Amino acid sequence: MSTRINDTTDLQAISRKRDLRRKTIPALAQAGPVSVWMILFVTLPMLYIIYISFMSRGVFGDVVYEFSLESYQTLLDSIYFKVIVKSLQVALFTTVACLLLGYPFAYYIARKPPAVASKLIMLIMIPFWTNSLMRLNSWLLLFQTSGPVNTFLQWAGITSEPVTFIYTDPLVMLGLVTNMLPFAVLPLYSTIEKLQNSLLEASSDLGANPRQTFFRITLPLTFPGIFSAVILVFIPSLGIYTVSDMLGGGKVLYIGNIIKNQFGSIRNWPLGAALSVLLLVITGALIFLYTRFSKLEDMEVV
Amino acid sequence: MKRILSGVLASAMLLALCACGGGTPAETTAGTDTPAETGAAEASTELNIYMWQQYISDQVVSDFEEANNCTVNISYMSDNADAITKLTAGGGQEYDLIMTCDAYMESLIAGGYVEELDLSRIPNSSNINSSYWSSPNHSIPYLGNYIYVVYNTETCPIEITCYNDLLDPALKGQITSIDGARNLFPMALVALGYDPNSENEEEIAEAYEWLVKYNENVVAYGNAEQNLTNGTASVAFTYDGNASWAFAETGGEDSPLVVAPFTDDAVQLGFDMYVIPTGAQHTDLAYKFLDYICDPEVMAQNLVEFPYFCPNDAAVAAAPESYRNDPSKDFDYKENVFFQEDVGDALTIYNDYYQMLKVGQ
Repeated sequence: MSTRINDTTDLQAISRKRDLRRKTIPALAQAGPVSVWMILFVTLPMLYIIYISFMSRGVFGDVVYEFSLESYQTLLDSIYFKVIVKSLQVALFTTVACLLLGYPFAYYIARKPPAVASKLIMLIMIPFWTNSLMRLNSWLLLFQTSGPVNTFLQWAGITSEPVTFIYTDPLVMLGLVTNMLPFAVLPLYSTIEKLQNSLLEASSDLGANPRQTFFRITLPLTFPGIFSAVILVFIPSLGIYTVSDMLGGGKVLYIGNIIKNQFGSIRNWPLGAALSVLLLVITGALIFLYTRFSKLEDMEVV
Repeated sequence: MKRILSGVLASAMLLALCACGGGTPAETTAGTDTPAETGAAEASTELNIYMWQQYISDQVVSDFEEANNCTVNISYMSDNADAITKLTAGGGQEYDLIMTCDAYMESLIAGGYVEELDLSRIPNSSNINSSYWSSPNHSIPYLGNYIYVVYNTETCPIEITCYNDLLDPALKGQITSIDGARNLFPMALVALGYDPNSENEEEIAEAYEWLVKYNENVVAYGNAEQNLTNGTASVAFTYDGNASWAFAETGGEDSPLVVAPFTDDAVQLGFDMYVIPTGAQHTDLAYKFLDYICDPEVMAQNLVEFPYFCPNDAAVAAAPESYRNDPSKDFDYKENVFFQEDVGDALTIYNDYYQMLKVGQ
């Protein structure tokens, strides 16, 4: 017995066993489900999309498994370039609008006592208990030619003819901004909440006016929140197609709609896949930028 | 505590994995329990149909379920191309009846994707008007649609008597239109005096130019009946069934809407038909269902809810007055129609131009 215990290899085996119990199993249990989930439902489909994008298309829209760069060549066509630029513009606009609306709102909430703040946050979430398609449909009903908004405008004498709101770019923007606002408010709220009052007091003690305090202290300190808000709003609004489909009447097309059409009515899966890959590349570049920035920010904060 | 938590999580993970792996094979084996051609000996209890949404009366379906002691599972398609994908990807594994349209029948038959029908097992099929039945050995026409122009005489600034009138600049932002390459291009081809099922790229390119101008007048694709009744649009290029709802909404006989009185241009008449995909699992029930839906009384009941064009003459005769006197069916160029035909490989040309039309603004 005693000789065995002194045996170093056995000791190693025991410690390895302990390691397995203490470290590996809990680690697996914690990260395992998510990893399996991500591999099954994110990585594999993504790899399949990349694979399909290099294949050719059949007449019926079936994927013909022959290598071809045709889809990527099609992407170089100026029409797609225009659509991508347009989609980027719209996503950018949505992001800026969400930040401009969301920042003051998040600031207001964060300065309230916690009990009130949680209620206000709840108010933002409540509309999201309804299906987003329902919310979009209600915009249509509100703004349609014989809808309440037009009736009111005519009753108040602001316009004599009904105004065409629906199926226009501004309404699509409105739909996008209202859909995305919570994704801006929540991260902003969490960083603004951490902002220490003492820093702001120090700033004003040292003679800064409120404007200087905001731009020199508050804004830089809440930069991580702003950046997450940008990522959380920009990426989904670049790919979302339901809003422009419903509020744009199938006439306002962004990259998300084009991808959807390729997999749907136009049936060119390889091209749809190539467009999705392009979207992935744009998203990847943004996230790369984000990690660079947030690291810098962390260092400054420390 | 940690150990318990990790144990729980690990077992949850395992369970989830089992569920993922086990689900699909179980489903497929359930179908094979009832072999295809055993017929009455071992009647199926399940019928899987793939078709358009909002296209069959729930009552009609539940009556069939009750009479045959079975469950009918209906899945919905959003596009004709979806049905083609299902059919070409071995649809028989999943579905017993798939709805498709006449435009694809030739290729489907040639590819062996649909079963040949034994019409002696569908005696009621004799009610179907043979002039609307393009492939009687492989399909049963269900309902059809005229695709025509309807406009509001009170708000539309011009009178519309041909497709070219739709390009009038006065109609800017006034048209609500159905979508889809094989619905839009034939209209343009007819307007230009070409074959609506042209396979000639130059003609299709010209039709594309025509549609670019048309597109400028379109306010929205889809939702035709809503846009017409709520005043968003004054002209609709749509199906007769949708027009019928718009007529009913705006006052039936007194409606300001009229079906545009076309003088020369042909209108499209398309049929949705049921086919049995190759290798279907419950063909006995599929045949029973086809016979059931061809029954005049059943179809007449269905027409009350879905007032589309019906190729079943006996059912039309049995249908109530409201269907037969429907103002949306009151136009006199019903004979001047064209059908969507299979355009073979030219479909890719259509799709490419359609893509350009939708993207390039």
